Amino acid sequence: MRTTTLMLPLYVGMIGTPILLVLRLFAILYSPLLAYPLTVLAAIGFIAFGAAGFVEVFVHDYPKSMRLRIARSKGPAAAERKEANSVRITFRLRRFDEGKKQLVEEAYVHNVDELTTVLGALVDIKEKHDNTLSMRYSCRMGICGSCGMVVNGKPSLACETNVLEHARKGDIVVEPMQGHPLLKDLATDFDDFFEKHMSVQPRLYRIDAKEQYAAKKEYHQTREEVDRFLPYSYCIMCGLCEDACPVVNTNPNFKGPQALAQEYRYYADSRDQLGKKRLLDADRLDGVWGCEFAGACSKVCPKGVDPAAAIQLLKTELMSNTTAEEREPARHST
Amino acid sequence: MELLDFDIVILGTGIAGMTAAIHATEASKGRLRIALVSKLHAMRSHSVCAEGGISGVLYTENSDDSFQLHAYDTIKGSDYLADQDAVELLVRNAPHEIRFFEHLGVPWDRNDKARISQRPFGGMSIPRTAFAADKTGFFMMRALYDTVTGYENVQLFNECMATSLFTEKGRFLGIFSIDLGTGKSILFKAKACIIATGGFARVFSVTTTSYATTGDGIALAYRAGLPLKDMEFIQFHPTTLIPSGILITEAARGEGGYLLNSQGKRFMEAYAKSKMELAPRDIISRAIISEIDAGRGFKHDKSGLDYVELDLRHLKGRIDEKLPMIRDICTKMLNLDPVNEPIPVRPAAHFTMGGIHTSIDGKIMAGPSSSETEGLWAIGECGSVSVHGANRLGSNSLSQCAVWGRIAGRDAAKYALDAKSKGSDGLMDRAIGEEERIGRLLGNRGSEDPYELMHEMQNTLERSFYVYRRMGEMARAAKKLAAIRARYKDVYVTDKKHIYNTNLRDVIEIGNMLDLAVAVAECASRRKETRGAHAVVEYPEREDKSWLKHTIIQMHGEKQVVSYIPVNITKWQPQKRVY
Repeated sequence: MRTTTLMLPLYVGMIGTPILLVLRLFAILYSPLLAYPLTVLAAIGFIAFGAAGFVEVFVHDYPKSMRLRIARSKGPAAAERKEANSVRITFRLRRFDEGKKQLVEEAYVHNVDELTTVLGALVDIKEKHDNTLSMRYSCRMGICGSCGMVVNGKPSLACETNVLEHARKGDIVVEPMQGHPLLKDLATDFDDFFEKHMSVQPRLYRIDAKEQYAAKKEYHQTREEVDRFLPYSYCIMCGLCEDACPVVNTNPNFKGPQALAQEYRYYADSRDQLGKKRLLDADRLDGVWGCEFAGACSKVCPKGVDPAAAIQLLKTELMSNTTAEEREPARHST
Repeated sequence: MELLDFDIVILGTGIAGMTAAIHATEASKGRLRIALVSKLHAMRSHSVCAEGGISGVLYTENSDDSFQLHAYDTIKGSDYLADQDAVELLVRNAPHEIRFFEHLGVPWDRNDKARISQRPFGGMSIPRTAFAADKTGFFMMRALYDTVTGYENVQLFNECMATSLFTEKGRFLGIFSIDLGTGKSILFKAKACIIATGGFARVFSVTTTSYATTGDGIALAYRAGLPLKDMEFIQFHPTTLIPSGILITEAARGEGGYLLNSQGKRFMEAYAKSKMELAPRDIISRAIISEIDAGRGFKHDKSGLDYVELDLRHLKGRIDEKLPMIRDICTKMLNLDPVNEPIPVRPAAHFTMGGIHTSIDGKIMAGPSSSETEGLWAIGECGSVSVHGANRLGSNSLSQCAVWGRIAGRDAAKYALDAKSKGSDGLMDRAIGEEERIGRLLGNRGSEDPYELMHEMQNTLERSFYVYRRMGEMARAAKKLAAIRARYKDVYVTDKKHIYNTNLRDVIEIGNMLDLAVAVAECASRRKETRGAHAVVEYPEREDKSWLKHTIIQMHGEKQVVSYIPVNITKWQPQKRVY
């Protein structure tokens, strides 16, 4: 949240630059007279986009609550809410059949109330309708990262997803994340995901290893230094960003938003002493340069981590803090 | 069946288990092969849910705080049931551990002088709880997971469910487990074993804890004939969200939140005038129930649950800075913003002070007062060293996990390095027997619905062993629980397949919980006094003359034997407990 001053120009630049380029093209091709009102419009657009980025970033903690309130006043769920405490919902579960190696849709009709979460309903369905249903879950409060699945097409944490807010005409579709190999029903296999996470050496490296294990005094770190890595340390390893990432889905070798965001998290921590090595590690086509900045990872992250920003920050750091000679060998070693 | 040979096997990957893995590695300079076994993905253990912080006296210059004061607060908080030597060990070591976690990467909240900030917590006389927003446990877990996975000598077994613990004359032999991903059996043979599988608050129908907190390790030890201690003491956290029981951290009150009854009054004034909302949890939970019983609570329409309000509105901007997760949870779960509205809360099962009976070093004892076992440790919530006695103070549990994680890791490493390879005759036979038992369970076509048994057990405990308990009701409930447990023999498993069979896992967990629920009832229905979390209506006073003692329960065959051992009192004689 607090590193947003760093990120804001990024957002603005990302949206503003192409617009300006188009405008200049117009000015060259046609008369400056035509280009002038367009420039004004672009400026307005520029500010608006900037403001949108600002809201996205500064109100990052609560985008869900805003969405909830909107849905309550307008959406079809609102009408159903008023009628009764208990609403019949059809859960269309696309279960992975580990024998047939394919997804099979099964529908379960289940009563929910306005507080029921998708996870709550799934656990009920498992206990009452079909004991064989499998999914991964534990804390049911959005912190353990177990229950990532795709609800109505969007990668979500089932425990944080309200059924009535997301039901469409009494229907809700739940399927496993498919950016990972499938295991059974709604559970995916996380081995690859964990391996990618491990590959960025996600831990503090210190030269004073002895002090690290027999800590006498804390390492000096100011609030400002904490704020530099804190937003990226909220990752709960749920895998939703990997599932949403178009690059991961087409190139399995791409390190992916989760691992790269963690690379940045440790790079940005003033206590870490691996320094440049981390940057050079990310300097690969399957590393930061694989990112096409679709931004889907940041959109679906349930904890507001913003891996997309982390990757762009890694690129910036890489270009400004390493020399071409340092970068070359690293790139060839891929 | 796969047989894997390790030096140390650690069950559970919460803060205690992973800390132990790190220190066992450090103590042996990476020479020992360690298996780290979790029934979940390692980083998803319930420790991630710890919110408020970790206690420890970090700075003594220009401060009134001291080890003595932390120890006194803890002992008074425990209603004098804590073993005082263990408490002293806790408070002396806690500060290093906080700094150790800082060195592993935890982003502790810092003050203007770049020092670690500390917030007030219930029952603590002075702010001494270090924190990282309201996600302290999560940050500690991530630091541990990231560190421990960097060790080549530590092998992680994700989603591997232990079902049986094998010992021979008090010496550890091995662990039988099922790899949930494939359904295959794994037998872990090792010199030493550290059990760190957490508590069992899921035996209640409303609890703050994860679905996974089913006390598996405690049940394993219990069935292996090892003694459990103080099982009747179950902490009810005063402020949990209606109706789910999701935890609203004590830090909400530490940061200045009020508890209000339906008359809009801060009712804690009548119960703990000096500490108000920062009295220990047992006292606040009792106060809330007393208010509700006196007709000064609210009623929740949807669930019919009674509650009081936790008001944070006056904290304004501090909510975002210090309690972001609480705001997030309230908006997502109840569509309620604590900045504008009070939070509806009620007490729910949270922490189990009881667990496997251990020595001061976390070594599992072989009997009530006899010698220690060989090669077996129990740490964290699943072990009862007894630092929490009858009531734990908030933020002491994380320090407990960190302190005994180090002690057990170091001691187990030393033991495993020195231990001569002794025979493990009969281990394979017993493992095959266990594999057959699981096979029979899987093939069972009985008539009992496991989930129905679970809900019956949970409702029974919720009704009869909640904040206030009654002797007659407890005795009846104990009989009922024994009957439910007997029906478990005829339980059925619907899912007959092997790959990720969560139905079978649930049935095993339910079996574990039933064993522990019966133990809770047996211990609680005997204790005729009110002490800490065990408040009996007929006996409203603490009775030090007859009940200043730990309860021990042990399985001899099918019989459960209850006995008592004295509390270790060093400097602090029991006094009247007033806040």
